[in-house]
Amino acid sequence: MWETIIIQPMTNLLLWIYDFLGHGPHMFGLAIILFTILIKLITWPLNASQVKGAQAMQELQNDKEWQDIQKKYAKDKEKIAQEQMRIYKERGINPFASCLPTLVQFPIIIGLYQSIIRALSATPYDMLKLARTIYPFQNVEGIIPLNSKFLWMDLGRPESIQVLGFALPTLAIIVALTTYIQSKLTMPASTNPNDQSAQMTKMMSIYMPLMLGWFALNFASGIAVYFIVSNVLGVVQYAATGRANWSNLLPGGGKKTSSAKKK
Amino acid sequence: MNTKRLMLFILLALGVIFLSACSGQPLANNWPGLATDAEHAYLAAGSFVYAVDLESGEEVWRYPAEADGKLLFYANPVLTSNGQLLIGSTGTEHPFISLDPATGKEKWAKSFNENKGAWLASPLVVNDTIYAPNTDGFLYVLDMNGKESADPIELGGALWSAPSTDGSLLYIASLDHQFHIIDPANVGSDQSIDLGGAAPGSPVVGSDGVYVGSFASTIEYIKSNGGHKVIAKTDSWIWGSPLLDGQTLYYADLSGKVYSLDLASGNQNWDTVQPDGPIVASLLMAGDQLYVATEAGTLVALDRDGKTVWEKTVGGKIYTTPVVSGDLILVAPYQADFVLAAYDAAGKQAWTFVPEK
Repeated sequence: MWETIIIQPMTNLLLWIYDFLGHGPHMFGLAIILFTILIKLITWPLNASQVKGAQAMQELQNDKEWQDIQKKYAKDKEKIAQEQMRIYKERGINPFASCLPTLVQFPIIIGLYQSIIRALSATPYDMLKLARTIYPFQNVEGIIPLNSKFLWMDLGRPESIQVLGFALPTLAIIVALTTYIQSKLTMPASTNPNDQSAQMTKMMSIYMPLMLGWFALNFASGIAVYFIVSNVLGVVQYAATGRANWSNLLPGGGKKTSSAKKK
Repeated sequence: MNTKRLMLFILLALGVIFLSACSGQPLANNWPGLATDAEHAYLAAGSFVYAVDLESGEEVWRYPAEADGKLLFYANPVLTSNGQLLIGSTGTEHPFISLDPATGKEKWAKSFNENKGAWLASPLVVNDTIYAPNTDGFLYVLDMNGKESADPIELGGALWSAPSTDGSLLYIASLDHQFHIIDPANVGSDQSIDLGGAAPGSPVVGSDGVYVGSFASTIEYIKSNGGHKVIAKTDSWIWGSPLLDGQTLYYADLSGKVYSLDLASGNQNWDTVQPDGPIVASLLMAGDQLYVATEAGTLVALDRDGKTVWEKTVGGKIYTTPVVSGDLILVAPYQADFVLAAYDAAGKQAWTFVPEK
């Protein structure tokens, strides 16, 4: 099932793009970049709903009724949760709408990782599996094995650059940074330090860069290329809506916003 | 606070991971390699190289004594005339190792630093020189003590198959579709031929040239002077090496068909012979029987007319080329309950080998 609906289409699409680009050196990296753009276009409505959901949550933080509830039931967490759910329901807000695109990304990430490994075929057994993955209409005898070189990287292996004898994982660092930037830009400013959803969003902005950085560090660098392009496109998409909170990138930027709003 | 402790733990864990990231990734999945002499079978199956007694099917030795993630073995080991068993590692470290076939003790190990690729192919030994093909696209030249006796020969694409020789020239295919003819005495003058597809099997030497199959679903005849022509086409990719028996060339493809080509006339000797699954392993001729091992886990003995003499369900998937020693046909299935099985020429199973944990 997973093989048929995720791995096979993804691998064939990657191979088709690679073939379309002329299957020379660096072309598999470009194929991953084009693939990422395509995924971003397909998931555009989901990302738009994420933006909308985040904005709704942001507006809710500044809502008087919401803040009153926090104060009124400060010692009764269960009651706060009930009241929050009531407000979500009344105003048609889905508190998980901003998380959904992130969750949708996971099968794509896992599928892409498996597709890259499958396409690059580091061993004869992998190559044999690739032979079974290719759709009959694809004429790939001429393009496999794929050229895994992209810039200084081998896309089938974790990336690092030797600096003073130490293997510096530059892509993993860039992945963590771009993920952090994306999450900070899209993170709604909270006026209420006790708000659980705001705390969760804040924690996500810390955990996600670390987690994706860890993926980039340990898995094929083709995945890191996907993360970076996806993050950059995410930032561009969000900035295009005019809602990017650039002040969040500055130290204490989010707090300033909060205190300013309190006044 | 619990959250702060959790964060600290995660940061520490990441620190450990960063530090451990300096080592390469092992090539962890492949079928075993197999070789034999008169007394032992030598099986390269992941963490260990095993020597198995041919009479009893019992383990004689294993190398290394304890599993070590740095070393993995999948290539067919190669025995030399001066008593060495040669194999390279595909683990996180890539030493090229010489073992004593009698004891499994390491005679020497040539370490290759990290930017050298894994050893998926067997070496070729010519006189006192070892030609060792590496996935980094270089053919390394070593003496019998493991010292590099000449500069490595850069061939470009990854090398997955052993070179062949006609006594003077070396023939080897790289995965970038190129086929190379190398004169060891004059390395700069090597010739390259585009096969139109990757060729993961070794070429077989014929008269004044070699035969090689490829993913272009063709058998190509390549002369020593670089002249070449397609002499046969198949229904699917050709993985293993062709087998030359007099004027007949046998080969098989991933569609599961076995072919017999009369080289004199250029005609096929028989119509479709198709056992029960794709064929990756090279064919084996022993006595008057042609042995075919299929991915479906079946070992089939054919006569020279393509008639089935017997067939046995071995189990697992068979990708490793069977080998013959005396009266025994040895088969190394992948993902089976045992890693090695021995059959006699009548198809009777003599023993199976399951390594002790």
